[in-house]
Amino acid sequence: MFYDLHMHSCLSPCAENEMTPNNICNMALIKGLDLIAVTDHNSTKQLPACAEAARNIGIGMLFGTELESSEEVHVLALYRRLEAALSLQPWIDAHMPGIPNDENYFGNQLIMNANDEIIGKEPQLLIVSLTATLDECVEEIHRTGGKAILAHVVDRKNSVTTQLGFIPPDLPYDGLEIKRPEQIKEVIARNPWIKENETEWLIDSDAHNLIDISEAVNEISEDTVARLWGDLQ
Amino acid sequence: MTIQQLIEQTGWKPVTKDADVTKEINGAYCSDLLSWVMGKGQPDQAWITVQSHINVIAVAVLREFSCVILAEGAHFPENVISRAEDEDLVLIESDLPVFETARKLIELGV
Repeated sequence: MFYDLHMHSCLSPCAENEMTPNNICNMALIKGLDLIAVTDHNSTKQLPACAEAARNIGIGMLFGTELESSEEVHVLALYRRLEAALSLQPWIDAHMPGIPNDENYFGNQLIMNANDEIIGKEPQLLIVSLTATLDECVEEIHRTGGKAILAHVVDRKNSVTTQLGFIPPDLPYDGLEIKRPEQIKEVIARNPWIKENETEWLIDSDAHNLIDISEAVNEISEDTVARLWGDLQ
Repeated sequence: MTIQQLIEQTGWKPVTKDADVTKEINGAYCSDLLSWVMGKGQPDQAWITVQSHINVIAVAVLREFSCVILAEGAHFPENVISRAEDEDLVLIESDLPVFETARKLIELGV
């Protein structure tokens, strides 16, 4: 299955307004992807519309969000079931610092329905660090039935590498996300205790606009998906 | 100056027990991005940060820092303190912001 499990909808202030639920699903379909996930910053509020759009358009979807821990590390929470993903929202709300969004500076945070109509705006700024440590984020993701994937682990911004120097060996994460296959070598060079063959590696786009959504180049086996998230059907 | 002298003259609290406070402090380094600290920290410096993740201990040992000062009234978790004690690394908590904590060190001649 061709996949891309990290992209932002127009709910994320840094994403383009063209990243509507239907545009995302249709573009992913055109590009030949089989499985996608919309992962907005610190919010699951776009997921109900995305779920409906994915169902209507006929593309596989996992349900997620990209949490930012108090150490400013980005970690993806990915769920098989929409309801499980939504069950993370009260915990996120309780750990938001409560900074209002300045649309003119950060961009707007649009919440849509499955017809791509704006039904609301998130008033709190979403690109913030939660008042929860990385350990606490991973623990809560697991408690709500999700998988914790350390996001863009070798990026120079908000990665576990920049913020914490290296991947904490005792952190019970479920996978590591990179942008390109050759980054696996870099991760292992920096973290020699990581076993390449015993690690789930995801290669995602982190797209903030339609064009950046991955082409059909990165494949994940149904076995791997089933091992992580169970049977998708 | 030694860590012991720093503690006496600032009133800041060492949270590690039995870690060696007789070590000398030569200079200080301020950063919360551990990747930068790993690349730039120098031996015997006091490291001022607001980062209290357990990786702080590994980085401090790697760079051979004299001690780690957690600023802004933040607290080290128990597991971090106990890892520091295993490594004989002194952890200190300061109520002052990072800039004021650094200013205090400068005033004391570090």
